[in-house]
Amino acid sequence: MKPRNLKRIAFATSLGGLVTVSVAADLAPLPQPKFNTAMAEMGRFLFFDERLSGDAGLSCATCHNPQKGWSDGLPLSKGYPASEYFRNSPTLLNSGFKKRFMWDGRLDGADMGTLVRDMITEAHTMNMDGRLMQERLKQVPEYNAMWLKFRKDDINGMRVFNVVGEFVRSVNSKNAPIDRFLKGDQGALNGTQRAGYELFKGKAGCVACHNGPLGSDGNLHRTGVPENPAVTSEPLRHITMARYYATSGLPNYMMTHDDVGFQAISKNPKDKGKFATPSIRDLKYTAPYMHNGMLKTLDEVVDFYDKGGGSGAELKPLNLGDSEKRALVAFLESLSGDPVVVDKPKLPAYKVRAFGKN
Amino acid sequence: MTTLKRNAIAATIAAVTAATLSFSPAVIAADTPMAKKAAAFPPLGPLPAAPIPADNPMTAEKIELGKMLFWDSRLGGDASSPCVVCHKPGKGWGDGGEISRGYPGTQHWRNAQTVLNAAFYNKLFWEGNVTSLEAQAPAAAGGNVAGNGDGSMMEMRLRFIPEYVERFKKVFGVEWPRIFLAWKAIAAFERTIVSDPKQVPFDRYMMGDKNALNDSQKHGMALFSGKAGCIQCHNGPLASDQRFYSLGVPENEVFMSEPLYQITHRWEHYQKGISEKGYRGADLDHGYYYVTKNPKDIGKFRTPSLRELKYTAPFMHNGIFYTLNEVVDFYDKGGGTTGPNKSPLIKPLGLTDQEKKDLVAFLESLSMDKPLSMASPKLPPYQPLKVAK
Repeated sequence: MKPRNLKRIAFATSLGGLVTVSVAADLAPLPQPKFNTAMAEMGRFLFFDERLSGDAGLSCATCHNPQKGWSDGLPLSKGYPASEYFRNSPTLLNSGFKKRFMWDGRLDGADMGTLVRDMITEAHTMNMDGRLMQERLKQVPEYNAMWLKFRKDDINGMRVFNVVGEFVRSVNSKNAPIDRFLKGDQGALNGTQRAGYELFKGKAGCVACHNGPLGSDGNLHRTGVPENPAVTSEPLRHITMARYYATSGLPNYMMTHDDVGFQAISKNPKDKGKFATPSIRDLKYTAPYMHNGMLKTLDEVVDFYDKGGGSGAELKPLNLGDSEKRALVAFLESLSGDPVVVDKPKLPAYKVRAFGKN
Repeated sequence: MTTLKRNAIAATIAAVTAATLSFSPAVIAADTPMAKKAAAFPPLGPLPAAPIPADNPMTAEKIELGKMLFWDSRLGGDASSPCVVCHKPGKGWGDGGEISRGYPGTQHWRNAQTVLNAAFYNKLFWEGNVTSLEAQAPAAAGGNVAGNGDGSMMEMRLRFIPEYVERFKKVFGVEWPRIFLAWKAIAAFERTIVSDPKQVPFDRYMMGDKNALNDSQKHGMALFSGKAGCIQCHNGPLASDQRFYSLGVPENEVFMSEPLYQITHRWEHYQKGISEKGYRGADLDHGYYYVTKNPKDIGKFRTPSLRELKYTAPFMHNGIFYTLNEVVDFYDKGGGTTGPNKSPLIKPLGLTDQEKKDLVAFLESLSMDKPLSMASPKLPPYQPLKVAK
């Protein structure tokens, strides 16, 4: 799929380089999510329904499993059968508040429907033809009935993507200590966590990029995370990456063996290795971390930043003491709420229709 | 589209058939209306060499590569549906089903046709929507109810199979495999999947072995060109005029009773770009109409070859008939009543039981004595790309 608003994103990124972090950036409580209840209810069924993939072998929930923090618990995601993906599956929690989607930031956060379309129709994820998906759903009477609760026409493939997206908008963190704290409950964080918060905003400088309600500035940055060797040692993953580069129009894609991140979108070599800042909410449930799952624990993540990140990073060493690191990890954990679990509904079956009455 | 050397082929056909075609005077007198009818159509006869498009010459290495790719499941979405899954050598190079199995999670909606002698068609698929084997292969491998493969994904898979990289370089002179070259290699392989005239009783008969057909078959041959009128459409060495007709073949009952078939039936109407009214009322496979969008073409399908029928049951675009007896009965009754535009050539024939038997015996003589079988090739594995550090 082609990147949307490419120029705008590229422009915003170049601006981002100029803006200094002297502005008092801070975390913010998660706003009240907005979504259409009837759409989200149908979307909940579709989210778990394998019939939304080409060979009916996997659903959205396969790589965004509510039991695994709405991710899959793997360093690198699996992708469609006979493929393996080359990046980590991000959690879907709080996605409705994202400014941009995908690790390389190629999709606008305002457009959840396009994100869902990409995941369902891309060859390496669900490999589904949108028109065939439409006809499959029309073969399920319960889905036709759910559709009529929010629209007056019959099921249309292009609108289905928004229906799934509406469910995703409804999946949000609950009861995180940080939200209670930010709303004035000083007791919501313990002393260590409060010390961690001060480091977060001060010495460790995390807040420069991890700010706002999600703990993400929604921008692209280079932290120098090491390449995951599995991407090139496992042919199926390298195939997926090289094919993604080829379809993105990246020059010299057969000889590009690193994950170049945003460069594949902007085609600007200066953007090599830049990835979208992820949210730092619900980290308790979403290990391993980073775009390629290279860091297994929050201790590893904090150590990584303490050293100033990896090769080519826009970061500086932090010189944190052991107790400071512990405080920072304790604080990061306070950004996780209660587990958000949605069970797979009992999916309604295909039924025979009157032939010729479509 | 490929350019066929039509004149050269026609000359070859004429040379072969003119020398050999002669109906026994015992069977048809030269001045009967029957004989005049038969003479108006290109005669049956042994197949000439398959036409080779100028832009895809045959080489042994290309054919070998094409054979491997024909078997290779990595040319498809989830590595479950290589060409050979629906075109099995052991099933007459079809799949033996009424309607082809299709991609997992789906159903196809038409009968999988044999690859045997597909080299001779200038239009492929039941609705004749592609004009070369080179164009047929990607349509099948990429069709969402067939192979559901993404071209760029399949191409990249080939590039991670070092043996293919070497073979593509040798055959096509390219640094990296390209997907359109894979289709060329497969097409070249398919042009080798043809009937061997020495194995076909009818062909042996036409080449001079008067004992190759028995009396019943000879009588059936006369009926074919005469009373039964089969030759009006099933003519030339391929026994197909490659034109489009509606016979009123009954719709397969599965479309009334099976959800997966109904899904594909609607999807086909949706994606083939017909009107909303046509989509909403779709209760028939419109065949050639999807290509022309001319209402006069609703229900028409391209005349299939009659060669190798012994190995390619069930018959018709939707596999509705399991035996040649059923097919002959269908024509004897003057075809069916399903859909519009029925061909005026299809009329009740008034065949006797013996005549029907003779006709079936003749049809069987257009098949090889033994099916064309073929062992599976050994397929090379994926390997990591050599990554310069």
